[in-house]
Amino acid sequence: MRGPLKLEVWKMGFVNYLDALKLQEKLVSDRKLCRIPDTLLSLQHPPTYTLGKRRTDHNLLIPASELKNIGAELHYTQRGGDITFHGPHQAILYPIISLREIGLGARNYVEKLESTMIELSSLYGVKACAGQKGETGVWVGERKIGAIGVRISHGITSHGLAFNIDPDLKYFKHIVPCGITDKEVTSLRRETSTVLPSEEVIHEQLISCFARLFGYNTVVWKENPSILSDHEEIA
Amino acid sequence: MALRMWASSTANALKISCASKPYLSLSRCFSTVLDGLKYAESHEWVKHEGSVATIGITDHAQDHLGEVVFVELPEPGGSVSKGKGFGAVESVKATSDVNSPISGEIVEVNSKLSEAPGLINSSPYEEGWMIKVKPSSSSELESLMGSKEYTKFCEEEDASH
Repeated sequence: MRGPLKLEVWKMGFVNYLDALKLQEKLVSDRKLCRIPDTLLSLQHPPTYTLGKRRTDHNLLIPASELKNIGAELHYTQRGGDITFHGPHQAILYPIISLREIGLGARNYVEKLESTMIELSSLYGVKACAGQKGETGVWVGERKIGAIGVRISHGITSHGLAFNIDPDLKYFKHIVPCGITDKEVTSLRRETSTVLPSEEVIHEQLISCFARLFGYNTVVWKENPSILSDHEEIA
Repeated sequence: MALRMWASSTANALKISCASKPYLSLSRCFSTVLDGLKYAESHEWVKHEGSVATIGITDHAQDHLGEVVFVELPEPGGSVSKGKGFGAVESVKATSDVNSPISGEIVEVNSKLSEAPGLINSSPYEEGWMIKVKPSSSSELESLMGSKEYTKFCEEEDASH
Protein backbone atom coordinates (compact mmCIF):
# COMPACT_ATOMS: atom_id res chain seq x y z
CA MET A 1 0.00 0.00 0.00
CA ARG A 2 1.13 3.55 -0.54
CA GLY A 3 2.71 5.64 2.23
CA PRO A 4 1.14 8.60 4.03
CA LEU A 5 -0.30 11.24 1.69
CA LYS A 6 0.14 14.91 2.50
CA LEU A 7 -2.00 17.75 1.18
CA GLU A 8 -1.09 21.40 1.52
CA VAL A 9 -4.13 23.67 1.41
CA TRP A 10 -3.80 27.35 0.44
CA LYS A 11 -6.76 29.45 1.59
CA MET A 12 -6.56 32.39 -0.75
CA GLY A 13 -9.73 34.47 -0.58
CA PHE A 14 -10.49 36.50 -3.72
CA VAL A 15 -8.02 36.02 -6.55
CA ASN A 16 -8.06 37.50 -10.03
CA TYR A 17 -8.40 34.70 -12.63
CA LEU A 18 -5.14 35.38 -14.47
CA ASP A 19 -3.17 35.57 -11.23
CA ALA A 20 -4.60 32.21 -10.20
CA LEU A 21 -3.72 30.77 -13.62
CA LYS A 22 -0.10 31.98 -13.39
CA LEU A 23 0.19 30.60 -9.87
CA GLN A 24 -1.16 27.22 -11.00
CA GLU A 25 1.33 27.04 -13.87
CA LYS A 26 4.17 27.63 -11.43
CA LEU A 27 2.82 25.09 -8.95
CA VAL A 28 2.32 22.46 -11.67
CA SER A 29 5.94 22.86 -12.66
CA ASP A 30 7.06 22.66 -9.00
CA ARG A 31 4.89 19.60 -8.38
CA LYS A 32 6.26 17.85 -11.47
CA LEU A 33 9.78 18.35 -10.08
CA CYS A 34 8.59 17.13 -6.65
CA ARG A 35 9.51 20.48 -5.08
CA ILE A 36 6.11 20.72 -3.42
CA PRO A 37 3.58 18.17 -2.12
CA ASP A 38 0.07 17.80 -3.52
CA THR A 39 -1.40 21.28 -3.15
CA LEU A 40 -4.99 22.51 -3.08
CA LEU A 41 -5.92 26.12 -3.80
CA SER A 42 -9.19 27.27 -2.21
CA LEU A 43 -10.46 30.60 -3.51
CA GLN A 44 -13.12 32.73 -5.19
CA HIS A 45 -12.90 34.81 -8.36
CA PRO A 46 -14.39 38.18 -9.26
CA PRO A 47 -16.99 37.83 -12.06
CA THR A 48 -15.20 35.89 -14.80
CA TYR A 49 -16.29 33.85 -17.80
CA THR A 50 -13.88 31.17 -18.97
CA LEU A 51 -13.63 28.95 -22.02
CA GLY A 52 -11.89 25.60 -22.34
CA LYS A 53 -9.47 24.21 -24.90
CA ARG A 54 -12.23 23.73 -27.47
CA ARG A 55 -12.85 27.52 -27.42
CA THR A 56 -16.62 27.16 -27.64
CA ASP A 57 -17.23 30.92 -27.69
CA HIS A 58 -20.51 30.44 -29.55
CA ASN A 59 -21.83 29.63 -26.08
CA LEU A 60 -21.20 33.21 -24.93
CA LEU A 61 -24.53 34.90 -25.64
CA ILE A 62 -23.49 38.52 -25.32
CA PRO A 63 -20.74 40.26 -27.30
CA ALA A 64 -17.36 40.09 -25.56
CA SER A 65 -17.29 43.91 -25.71
CA GLU A 66 -20.33 44.02 -23.40
CA LEU A 67 -18.64 42.12 -20.62
CA LYS A 68 -17.02 45.19 -19.07
CA ASN A 69 -20.49 46.73 -18.69
CA ILE A 70 -21.58 43.84 -16.52
CA GLY A 71 -18.33 43.88 -14.58
CA ALA A 72 -16.94 40.62 -15.92
CA GLU A 73 -13.77 39.37 -17.61
CA LEU A 74 -13.37 36.62 -20.22
CA HIS A 75 -10.43 34.19 -20.38
CA TYR A 76 -9.47 31.36 -22.70
CA THR A 77 -7.83 28.40 -20.99
CA GLN A 78 -6.35 24.97 -21.65
CA ARG A 79 -8.73 23.13 -19.36
CA GLY A 80 -11.33 20.63 -20.50
CA GLY A 81 -14.99 21.52 -20.51
CA ASP A 82 -17.09 24.23 -22.07
CA ILE A 83 -17.89 27.82 -21.09
CA THR A 84 -18.60 28.64 -17.47
CA PHE A 85 -18.94 31.53 -15.05
CA HIS A 86 -17.01 32.09 -11.83
CA GLY A 87 -17.90 34.77 -9.32
CA PRO A 88 -18.33 35.79 -5.71
CA HIS A 89 -20.02 33.23 -3.43
CA GLN A 90 -18.87 30.34 -5.57
CA ALA A 91 -16.32 28.07 -3.89
CA ILE A 92 -13.45 27.08 -6.15
CA LEU A 93 -10.91 24.33 -5.57
CA TYR A 94 -7.86 23.98 -7.81
CA PRO A 95 -6.03 20.77 -6.87
CA ILE A 96 -2.43 20.63 -8.10
CA ILE A 97 -1.82 16.93 -7.51
CA SER A 98 0.09 14.07 -9.03
CA LEU A 99 -2.41 11.59 -10.42
CA ARG A 100 0.33 9.02 -10.98
CA GLU A 101 1.34 9.04 -7.33
CA ILE A 102 -2.23 8.73 -6.16
CA GLY A 103 -3.04 6.11 -8.81
CA LEU A 104 -5.90 7.80 -10.63
CA GLY A 105 -6.73 8.26 -14.28
CA ALA A 106 -8.67 11.27 -15.58
CA ARG A 107 -12.02 9.55 -15.32
CA ASN A 108 -11.61 8.44 -11.69
CA TYR A 109 -10.17 11.82 -10.74
CA VAL A 110 -13.16 13.68 -12.12
CA GLU A 111 -15.54 11.23 -10.44
CA LYS A 112 -13.89 12.00 -7.10
CA LEU A 113 -14.23 15.75 -7.74
CA GLU A 114 -17.93 15.14 -8.37
CA SER A 115 -18.16 13.09 -5.17
CA THR A 116 -16.52 15.93 -3.24
CA MET A 117 -19.33 18.30 -4.21
CA ILE A 118 -22.01 15.63 -3.75
CA GLU A 119 -20.80 14.95 -0.23
CA LEU A 120 -20.73 18.65 0.64
CA SER A 121 -24.28 19.05 -0.68
CA SER A 122 -25.45 16.15 1.48
CA LEU A 123 -24.22 17.97 4.60
CA TYR A 124 -27.06 20.40 3.91
CA GLY A 125 -29.64 17.78 3.04
CA VAL A 126 -29.27 18.38 -0.69
CA LYS A 127 -29.38 15.22 -2.80
CA ALA A 128 -26.95 15.89 -5.61
CA CYS A 129 -25.62 13.42 -8.12
CA ALA A 130 -23.09 13.13 -10.90
CA GLY A 131 -24.17 13.97 -14.42
CA GLN A 132 -25.17 11.44 -17.01
CA LYS A 133 -22.65 10.47 -19.68
CA GLY A 134 -21.26 13.55 -21.34
CA GLU A 135 -22.61 15.89 -18.65
CA THR A 136 -19.77 15.89 -16.15
CA GLY A 137 -20.63 17.98 -13.12
CA VAL A 138 -22.92 17.84 -10.12
CA TRP A 139 -26.68 18.12 -10.43
CA VAL A 140 -29.71 18.48 -8.20
CA GLY A 141 -32.37 17.03 -10.44
CA GLU A 142 -32.07 18.93 -13.71
CA ARG A 143 -30.24 21.86 -12.12
CA LYS A 144 -26.47 22.17 -12.05
CA ILE A 145 -24.89 23.06 -8.72
CA GLY A 146 -21.24 22.28 -9.43
CA ALA A 147 -18.99 22.42 -12.46
CA ILE A 148 -15.70 20.76 -13.33
CA GLY A 149 -12.96 21.61 -15.80
CA VAL A 150 -9.53 20.07 -15.49
CA ARG A 151 -6.15 20.06 -17.16
CA ILE A 152 -3.70 17.18 -16.78
CA SER A 153 -0.13 17.72 -17.86
CA HIS A 154 2.51 15.02 -17.25
CA GLY A 155 0.10 13.55 -14.75
CA ILE A 156 -0.24 16.78 -12.73
CA THR A 157 -3.66 18.38 -12.40
CA SER A 158 -4.67 22.03 -12.56
CA HIS A 159 -7.97 23.93 -12.72
CA GLY A 160 -10.63 21.92 -10.87
CA LEU A 161 -14.11 22.48 -9.54
CA ALA A 162 -16.55 25.32 -8.85
CA PHE A 163 -19.37 24.85 -6.35
CA ASN A 164 -22.25 27.34 -6.25
CA ILE A 165 -22.84 28.41 -2.66
CA ASP A 166 -24.85 31.54 -3.52
CA PRO A 167 -23.50 33.25 -6.63
CA ASP A 168 -25.56 35.75 -8.61
CA LEU A 169 -27.19 33.29 -10.99
CA LYS A 170 -28.15 36.10 -13.43
CA TYR A 171 -24.58 35.98 -14.76
CA PHE A 172 -25.28 32.48 -16.09
CA LYS A 173 -28.00 33.87 -18.36
CA HIS A 174 -25.31 35.33 -20.63
CA ILE A 175 -23.93 31.89 -21.51
CA VAL A 176 -25.07 28.42 -22.42
CA PRO A 177 -23.48 26.98 -19.27
CA CYS A 178 -21.17 24.07 -20.09
CA GLY A 179 -22.75 24.01 -23.55
CA ILE A 180 -25.93 22.38 -22.24
CA THR A 181 -28.95 24.32 -23.44
CA ASP A 182 -31.99 23.04 -21.60
CA LYS A 183 -30.77 22.81 -18.02
CA GLU A 184 -30.73 25.42 -15.24
CA VAL A 185 -27.99 26.45 -12.87
CA THR A 186 -28.68 26.42 -9.14
CA SER A 187 -26.94 27.02 -5.82
CA LEU A 188 -26.74 25.60 -2.32
CA ARG A 189 -28.73 28.59 -1.09
CA ARG A 190 -31.55 27.74 -3.47
CA GLU A 191 -31.61 24.03 -2.82
CA THR A 192 -31.50 23.90 0.97
CA SER A 193 -33.82 25.16 3.66
CA THR A 194 -31.00 24.86 6.21
CA VAL A 195 -29.53 28.16 7.36
CA LEU A 196 -26.08 28.38 5.79
CA PRO A 197 -23.07 29.09 8.01
CA SER A 198 -20.39 31.56 6.93
CA GLU A 199 -18.79 30.84 3.57
CA GLU A 200 -15.47 30.22 5.27
CA VAL A 201 -17.06 27.26 7.05
CA ILE A 202 -18.49 25.91 3.79
CA HIS A 203 -15.09 26.26 2.08
CA GLU A 204 -13.46 24.31 4.90
CA GLN A 205 -16.11 21.59 4.66
CA LEU A 206 -15.53 21.33 0.91
CA ILE A 207 -11.79 20.99 1.52
CA SER A 208 -12.39 18.32 4.19
CA CYS A 209 -14.62 16.33 1.82
CA PHE A 210 -11.88 16.54 -0.82
CA ALA A 211 -9.13 15.45 1.57
CA ARG A 212 -11.15 12.53 2.87
CA LEU A 213 -12.27 11.29 -0.54
CA PHE A 214 -8.76 11.44 -1.93
CA GLY A 215 -7.26 9.67 1.06
CA TYR A 216 -4.98 12.40 2.40
CA ASN A 217 -4.00 11.59 5.97
CA THR A 218 -2.07 14.78 6.59
CA VAL A 219 -3.53 18.18 5.76
CA VAL A 220 -1.43 21.30 6.25
CA TRP A 221 -3.23 24.66 6.09
CA LYS A 222 -1.58 27.78 4.71
CA GLU A 223 -3.61 30.92 5.39
CA ASN A 224 -3.28 34.01 3.17
CA PRO A 225 -0.18 32.87 1.32
CA SER A 226 1.87 35.84 0.22
CA ILE A 227 2.60 34.64 -3.31
CA LEU A 228 0.29 37.19 -4.91
CA SER A 229 0.64 40.87 -4.09
CA ASP A 230 -1.73 42.96 -6.20
CA HIS A 231 -5.16 41.41 -6.31
CA GLU A 232 -5.42 39.30 -3.22
CA GLU A 233 -8.10 40.18 -0.70
CA ILE A 234 -9.30 38.42 2.39
CA ALA A 235 -12.71 36.88 1.74
CA MET B 1 0.47 -12.59 -30.48
CA ALA B 2 -0.03 -15.13 -27.69
CA LEU B 3 0.02 -12.35 -25.13
CA ARG B 4 -2.61 -10.41 -27.03
CA MET B 5 -4.92 -13.39 -27.36
CA TRP B 6 -4.50 -14.25 -23.70
CA ALA B 7 -5.16 -10.68 -22.64
CA SER B 8 -8.24 -10.34 -24.87
CA SER B 9 -9.81 -13.66 -23.94
CA THR B 10 -9.16 -13.13 -20.26
CA ALA B 11 -10.60 -9.64 -20.47
CA ASN B 12 -13.66 -11.02 -22.19
CA ALA B 13 -14.05 -13.68 -19.56
CA LEU B 14 -13.60 -11.13 -16.81
CA LYS B 15 -16.10 -8.73 -18.33
CA ILE B 16 -18.73 -11.38 -17.85
CA SER B 17 -17.80 -11.96 -14.25
CA CYS B 18 -17.21 -8.27 -13.53
CA ALA B 19 -20.80 -7.50 -14.46
CA SER B 20 -22.00 -9.60 -11.56
CA LYS B 21 -19.26 -8.57 -9.16
CA PRO B 22 -18.79 -4.84 -9.57
CA TYR B 23 -16.33 -4.58 -6.68
CA LEU B 24 -13.71 -6.51 -8.65
CA SER B 25 -11.29 -4.25 -10.44
CA LEU B 26 -9.25 -6.98 -12.09
CA SER B 27 -10.33 -5.88 -15.56
CA ARG B 28 -7.98 -2.92 -15.18
CA CYS B 29 -5.00 -5.27 -15.24
CA PHE B 30 -6.11 -6.77 -18.50
CA SER B 31 -6.11 -3.85 -20.94
CA THR B 32 -4.92 -5.03 -24.31
CA VAL B 33 -1.20 -4.79 -24.90
CA LEU B 34 0.13 -5.65 -28.36
CA ASP B 35 3.34 -7.47 -29.09
CA GLY B 36 5.68 -5.76 -31.51
CA LEU B 37 4.99 -2.24 -30.21
CA LYS B 38 7.10 -0.16 -27.88
CA TYR B 39 5.64 1.63 -24.89
CA ALA B 40 6.31 4.71 -22.77
CA GLU B 41 5.58 5.04 -19.04
CA SER B 42 3.14 7.82 -19.90
CA HIS B 43 1.07 5.19 -21.77
CA GLU B 44 1.80 6.03 -25.40
CA TRP B 45 2.75 3.33 -27.94
CA VAL B 46 5.10 3.43 -30.93
CA LYS B 47 4.98 1.15 -33.99
CA HIS B 48 8.19 1.35 -35.99
CA GLU B 49 7.86 0.26 -39.61
CA GLY B 50 10.73 1.12 -41.92
CA SER B 51 11.49 4.83 -41.71
CA VAL B 52 8.20 5.79 -40.07
CA ALA B 53 7.03 5.44 -36.49
CA THR B 54 3.31 5.63 -35.68
CA ILE B 55 2.30 6.92 -32.25
CA GLY B 56 -0.89 6.69 -30.24
CA ILE B 57 -2.13 6.08 -26.71
CA THR B 58 -2.64 2.63 -25.25
CA ASP B 59 -5.77 0.72 -24.34
CA HIS B 60 -4.87 1.23 -20.66
CA ALA B 61 -4.69 4.99 -21.25
CA GLN B 62 -8.00 5.28 -23.08
CA ASP B 63 -9.73 3.20 -20.44
CA HIS B 64 -8.50 5.51 -17.66
CA LEU B 65 -9.46 8.61 -19.64
CA GLY B 66 -13.08 7.83 -20.38
CA GLU B 67 -14.84 8.76 -23.59
CA VAL B 68 -12.65 11.03 -25.72
CA VAL B 69 -14.63 13.95 -27.14
CA PHE B 70 -11.88 16.13 -28.59
CA VAL B 71 -8.36 15.59 -29.89
CA GLU B 72 -5.79 18.34 -30.47
CA LEU B 73 -3.00 17.38 -32.86
CA PRO B 74 -0.01 19.26 -34.28
CA GLU B 75 0.54 20.09 -37.95
CA PRO B 76 2.57 17.82 -40.23
CA GLY B 77 6.05 19.22 -40.80
CA GLY B 78 6.48 20.12 -37.15
CA SER B 79 8.74 18.18 -34.82
CA VAL B 80 8.33 16.20 -31.62
CA SER B 81 10.78 15.64 -28.76
CA LYS B 82 10.97 12.60 -26.52
CA GLY B 83 8.97 13.15 -23.35
CA LYS B 84 7.43 16.43 -24.54
CA GLY B 85 3.76 17.01 -25.27
CA PHE B 86 2.60 17.11 -28.88
CA GLY B 87 -1.15 17.26 -28.43
CA ALA B 88 -3.99 16.65 -26.05
CA VAL B 89 -7.20 14.70 -25.66
CA GLU B 90 -10.33 15.80 -23.82
CA SER B 91 -12.59 13.43 -21.91
CA VAL B 92 -14.97 13.98 -18.95
CA LYS B 93 -14.14 17.72 -18.95
CA ALA B 94 -10.43 16.94 -18.53
CA THR B 95 -7.78 17.77 -21.12
CA SER B 96 -4.80 15.43 -20.86
CA ASP B 97 -1.52 16.14 -22.62
CA VAL B 98 -0.19 13.41 -24.88
CA ASN B 99 3.60 13.07 -24.89
CA SER B 100 5.84 11.76 -27.65
CA PRO B 101 7.91 8.70 -26.72
CA ILE B 102 10.51 9.64 -29.36
CA SER B 103 11.97 12.65 -31.17
CA GLY B 104 11.55 13.28 -34.87
CA GLU B 105 9.71 15.04 -37.67
CA ILE B 106 5.93 14.74 -37.98
CA VAL B 107 5.10 13.38 -41.44
CA GLU B 108 1.40 12.66 -41.04
CA VAL B 109 -1.42 13.36 -38.61
CA ASN B 110 -4.66 11.37 -38.25
CA SER B 111 -7.24 13.85 -39.50
CA LYS B 112 -10.09 11.35 -38.85
CA LEU B 113 -9.76 12.13 -35.14
CA SER B 114 -11.25 15.61 -35.46
CA GLU B 115 -14.56 14.15 -36.65
CA ALA B 116 -14.32 10.85 -34.77
CA PRO B 117 -12.34 11.34 -31.54
CA GLY B 118 -13.93 8.17 -30.11
CA LEU B 119 -11.69 6.09 -32.38
CA ILE B 120 -9.09 6.48 -29.65
CA ASN B 121 -11.40 4.54 -27.33
CA SER B 122 -12.69 1.96 -29.79
CA SER B 123 -9.44 1.31 -31.66
CA PRO B 124 -6.47 2.75 -29.74
CA TYR B 125 -3.82 0.76 -31.67
CA GLU B 126 -5.32 0.86 -35.16
CA GLU B 127 -7.73 3.55 -36.32
CA GLY B 128 -7.04 5.71 -33.24
CA TRP B 129 -3.39 6.35 -34.20
CA MET B 130 -2.46 9.99 -33.66
CA ILE B 131 0.75 10.97 -35.53
CA LYS B 132 3.38 9.43 -37.77
CA VAL B 133 6.97 10.51 -37.22
CA LYS B 134 10.34 10.07 -38.91
CA PRO B 135 12.43 9.12 -35.84
CA SER B 136 15.65 11.04 -35.36
CA SER B 137 17.23 8.53 -32.98
CA SER B 138 17.06 4.73 -32.97
CA SER B 139 18.42 4.55 -29.42
CA GLU B 140 15.31 6.34 -28.14
CA LEU B 141 13.15 3.56 -29.62
CA GLU B 142 15.30 0.90 -28.03
CA SER B 143 15.02 2.47 -24.58
CA LEU B 144 11.22 2.13 -24.57
CA MET B 145 9.41 -0.80 -22.94
CA GLY B 146 8.39 -3.92 -24.81
CA SER B 147 4.95 -5.48 -24.42
CA LYS B 148 5.83 -7.76 -21.48
CA GLU B 149 7.53 -4.92 -19.59
CA TYR B 150 4.63 -2.55 -20.25
CA THR B 151 2.05 -5.13 -19.13
CA LYS B 152 3.95 -5.57 -15.88
CA PHE B 153 4.27 -1.78 -15.54
CA CYS B 154 0.49 -1.36 -15.84
CA GLU B 155 -0.22 -4.15 -13.37
CA GLU B 156 2.15 -2.63 -10.82
CA GLU B 157 0.72 0.85 -11.36
CA ASP B 158 -2.84 -0.31 -10.86
CA ALA B 159 -2.12 -2.71 -8.01
CA SER B 160 -0.17 -0.32 -5.84
CA HIS B 161 -3.18 1.89 -5.11
